[in-house]
Amino acid sequence: MPFPAPTQILAVSASSAAIWTFLVYTLLVFVIAGFANKLLKGRNFLSEYFLGSRGLGMWAFALTFAATSASGGSFTGFPAKIYTHGWILALWIASYMVYPLCTMGLLGKRVNQVARKSGAITIPDVLRDRFNSRTFGLVATLLIVFFLSFNLIAQFKAGSIILQTLVQDVSAFQWLSGSVSSMVNGFEFFNEVDPGYFSCLVIFGGLVIVYTTYGGFHAVVWTDVMQGIVMVAGVAIMLPLTLSQIGGMKAGTEQMARMIPPRLGTATIELDEAEESARGLNNIWIAQEDTDGNRQLFRLSGTISVPADAKIVTDIDTVEIRTPEEIEKLWANLIESHDDGLWTSVNTDAGEVRQIAIVKGYTHAGEGSLIGLVARFGDFKDYQYGAGQRGHYVSGPAPMPPAKETGDAKQKKDGPTDAEVAAAAGFLPLGMAISFFFMWAISGTGQPQYMVRLMAFKDSRTLRRSIITVTIYYGLIYFPLVIIFCYSRIILPGMENEADRIMPAMAVTLTENVGHGWLAGLLIAAPFAAVMSTVDSFLLVISSALVRDVYQRNISPNASEKTIKRLCYLTTLVIGTIALVCAINPPQYLQDIIVYVGSGLASCFLFPVVALLFWKRSNAIGCMGGMLVGFGVHLAMHAESWRQGGEFTNPITLFGLSPVVVSLAASIIAIALITPITPKTSEELVKKYFEAD
Amino acid sequence: MNSPTADPVYVNSKREGIIILIIWGLGFAWTVPYCYFTGFQTTTENWELTMTWGIPSWIFWGVAFPWFVSGVLSILMCLFYIKDDDLGQAEDEVPLSK
Repeated sequence: MPFPAPTQILAVSASSAAIWTFLVYTLLVFVIAGFANKLLKGRNFLSEYFLGSRGLGMWAFALTFAATSASGGSFTGFPAKIYTHGWILALWIASYMVYPLCTMGLLGKRVNQVARKSGAITIPDVLRDRFNSRTFGLVATLLIVFFLSFNLIAQFKAGSIILQTLVQDVSAFQWLSGSVSSMVNGFEFFNEVDPGYFSCLVIFGGLVIVYTTYGGFHAVVWTDVMQGIVMVAGVAIMLPLTLSQIGGMKAGTEQMARMIPPRLGTATIELDEAEESARGLNNIWIAQEDTDGNRQLFRLSGTISVPADAKIVTDIDTVEIRTPEEIEKLWANLIESHDDGLWTSVNTDAGEVRQIAIVKGYTHAGEGSLIGLVARFGDFKDYQYGAGQRGHYVSGPAPMPPAKETGDAKQKKDGPTDAEVAAAAGFLPLGMAISFFFMWAISGTGQPQYMVRLMAFKDSRTLRRSIITVTIYYGLIYFPLVIIFCYSRIILPGMENEADRIMPAMAVTLTENVGHGWLAGLLIAAPFAAVMSTVDSFLLVISSALVRDVYQRNISPNASEKTIKRLCYLTTLVIGTIALVCAINPPQYLQDIIVYVGSGLASCFLFPVVALLFWKRSNAIGCMGGMLVGFGVHLAMHAESWRQGGEFTNPITLFGLSPVVVSLAASIIAIALITPITPKTSEELVKKYFEAD
Repeated sequence: MNSPTADPVYVNSKREGIIILIIWGLGFAWTVPYCYFTGFQTTTENWELTMTWGIPSWIFWGVAFPWFVSGVLSILMCLFYIKDDDLGQAEDEVPLSK
């Protein structure tokens, strides 16, 4: 399936002021990287490059931790889920109420202390030194590289989509996209790649790779601080704008309560005229009315690529609006002003209907323009849970869209897959609600990319004050995000097939509606900042794993600092470039990948790290066993879904519980069973890490 | 029981970790059952929307309220319970102090 270009987001133009905001922001990032690079001189290179010399103060530590955790998912995948399922996402994300306390407080002091005692710079370093086991360190390194590389690709995709939203109406960018398009034309690899997306990927990826490579950990931390501020400012601006445009919270929630989930299907369009060159069509609404006066309203999703000299395009994902109130409102805004003479009669299986097609962007202003085409609609599917009923967007377990069918799925199994059966129970049945309360706070504690930050704060006092800061910070971001994007359903209906773009679309719509388009730049900078701060951290964690854990500690322990330095720069550059190339044809579901990676890392790392920090009897074999069992069970539950014909990222459950809970349980049981029957760790190591100096 | 020679960071971290897990458990024990029994159409016949401050009441009392309480508990814990332990110094930090 082609990766859909987000060009429809900016039917309204991003003002040049928005571009300026973005350019200033980018410039600041590079200034910061320049300062950070100066810090590298005169210090232990590895410790400074990968860990900031363990000297982070309160603001730097708190905001780098918060910004890294926030990730692109918070501003792309999470809003998409809120848009699709409604208020239930407040329960889905609820364990963020204790997230900072758990993720920073549970392991913080101890992991920091053990890393100082052993001189560890990376998490595999800690694991290896605690038991003096080279194999354990290598296994941990491989798992980190596997999971984070996967996530890096998804984050690159998110960053590129956001950037494209901002710049696509700029003529220089359109020229660039056109040039790129002609350059890659004929290469099979680029067949299904939108040239605009590709250009943005290269700009975004290049930017992050260069400043991370050049500046190292301090560049990442300081840019995180700036990005953390940008994120909270973005939310603070969006919330009042949203509330003012939907008439307040009460009115918004009441409207959501009246919503009926849409139906999803496909359409084939026949244009009145072909054009000599290829073109993309966005934001097309089709109104259809039968002879009895029954009205239907459809929105064609994504960018529709019309090849040169072609008039017919097939298989266009389409959303049919089902809420009578919404149809009435949209009809009044978009359709009624057009004369009867502009409608086209169409013969369908159900009899004769009349149709009109309108191109209309997201702002309230303007009526939209007519486009000459006739649409024929294929089979439409109802939601698997909540179809045809009101009230599901304000209650649990919340609406669940129909699963997208793949050719493989049809071939492999005649009946419903386990994932489809689960979907019929709604988005968040009880078992999943329990799983997600574990997922965020508990599994967040087991993420090596956050643990490495716990090795970098200066002292205990910094940790305490940072937990307070992040607690307040997350309170200011996550609950308001739920409010904003619940109501985005009202402001931007019909985006179910392209919900990953709801954040930038809202940024543009909200600001243009109040006549301050320049603010869109700042708002779009928020998710952009979130993605950047995650990507740069992941890049460093991966390159540190390879340089420190594989090269320095296993291949060449006596390598000179100059060699290590060159290798650090080179590895960061190469890993970033590989991820960038993979992101040219990226996986489709961003949030699912983020959940897969987050839960997978927790399954592997949480209990082994807890055991080695707090259990004197723990040993390398027991912890490694727990790590591999956690990995295996987690992978098996995803692979089983794929084997049954479902999506790999939509795993099977066990007793209604998600893989993270099951694999964490398996991991702790494995550690508890293996450790007592395997040899103890040496007394010397126990004394070093569990007794006062 | 910890030995008198036990590392204070290890001892204090373990004690603090238990309290943190209790706070997590309290949040879990309140939030999930409350939302399930008051906000799910599958558990209540003729479920009707009620609102508090413009948001569904089950979200307000099931998520927003415990979120606020957990925030306060987290802050109190950081201010009065978590100890300022000396975490030591790594060898690679020495150049900094020169």
